[in-house]
Amino acid sequence: MKRVNFILCIEAYLLCKGVAAVLQRIPGASVVREFGTVDMLTHYLKNHAVDFLLICDTLFEKATDLFIEDPGLLERTILLKINPVRPEGAGKFKEIIYLTDGKQEITFKIKELLNPYFRNHREEPQSTLTEREKTIVRLVSMGLTNKQIADKLFLSTHTIITHRKNIIHKLGIKSVSGLTVYAIVNNIITIDEVT
Amino acid sequence: MISRNMPMCQAVLEHYRLLPLLPRFNIRLGFGEKCVEEVCRLNHVTTEFFMEISNAYLDDDYIPQTDLSLFPLGDLVGYLTSTHHYYLEVAIPKIERKIHQLLDGSALSEKERGLVSGFFDDYRKEFLEHVSREDKLVLPYILELEKEYMKEKPDAEFMKRLQVYTIRDFAREHDRLETSLENLSRLIIKYLPPFEDFDLCHQVLTDLSDLVRDLIDHAHMEDKVLVPRVAEIEQHLLRKSEAG
Repeated sequence: MKRVNFILCIEAYLLCKGVAAVLQRIPGASVVREFGTVDMLTHYLKNHAVDFLLICDTLFEKATDLFIEDPGLLERTILLKINPVRPEGAGKFKEIIYLTDGKQEITFKIKELLNPYFRNHREEPQSTLTEREKTIVRLVSMGLTNKQIADKLFLSTHTIITHRKNIIHKLGIKSVSGLTVYAIVNNIITIDEVT
Repeated sequence: MISRNMPMCQAVLEHYRLLPLLPRFNIRLGFGEKCVEEVCRLNHVTTEFFMEISNAYLDDDYIPQTDLSLFPLGDLVGYLTSTHHYYLEVAIPKIERKIHQLLDGSALSEKERGLVSGFFDDYRKEFLEHVSREDKLVLPYILELEKEYMKEKPDAEFMKRLQVYTIRDFAREHDRLETSLENLSRLIIKYLPPFEDFDLCHQVLTDLSDLVRDLIDHAHMEDKVLVPRVAEIEQHLLRKSEAG
């Protein structure tokens, strides 16, 4: 599964660890680095590409150079708002998380950020099979030919071939033996049923 | 991250994942006090190239540091060829040998045995097919590309082909070779009856997971270093031909 990378830049250690723990629980999100100072962050960003930066408001003020140097960074920045009084210039950040946010609010905000990464992702073809495809994988594992499968399911051989092409595309597995092992480890068939 | 002035010994001790890379550069152990740059020079390896490959291999978020035009594409192709050679001649036969040894001494049924050995046999064939396609088509294409790039006036036939097929198309066709191996590990751990020789079974599983890791890192390196570098030259050539 593709991971969307977050780096954190939060002074307060407890807060930083807490944010990291929350993010790691969200499928697809991954915290790659945690920083407590802007210096370390600046150095890291010189050599690395990240999907999102989550920075607390106190450190954001010290990091203005970073955002001047890379104007696109703001588009990928999530502000963690610790001080509720200070104005934040809403709208310029990708997202703002408040200390008072509940579990649902935070999860929702992060998931919204992740969505575009998992929609129409070319490199990551959908790997879940449809029920029909599962049936076909099952029959292939039992040693049936395309013709036999077609007869059994009252479909044309041509349709079965199309299904099998789609299966290959989804799973990246071509051989019968490969599909059989796939079927076993995904509980589509038991070893006893395999021929 | 490794740097050019750091002792090679330290680089390897800190990053064990570098070990399988060394033979691909024809670099042997026994570094003494020599730093990365010295070891590279003694082994006729371009230092920038070694560092790009190693760092891309070690760090999933790595983006190329140096101007990619610093090293010749021939280096890259040489590296890929020896990597493929390593998979086909060393890594896969080693696992295959151990799997057969494991099956021979096991109480598995004929069917279960056939399942595992048949699986690995087909896997090897698919792998070979994939690698030979790269060796026969992609790598010669890269070398030809560089040759055309050096010419005053690139070959018209070549330019015509370039307009329909570029390295990005190759990258898209890239198969995922590691998923099948993970399925095999899962089969052994979860579904097959236990093997008597646990130590050998452990070795098989470790070798499988090492190879999976290596394949992922390798694909990552191709995406981060090879494809961008080749795409850059393609763009140069295309622009040049438009201007001319």
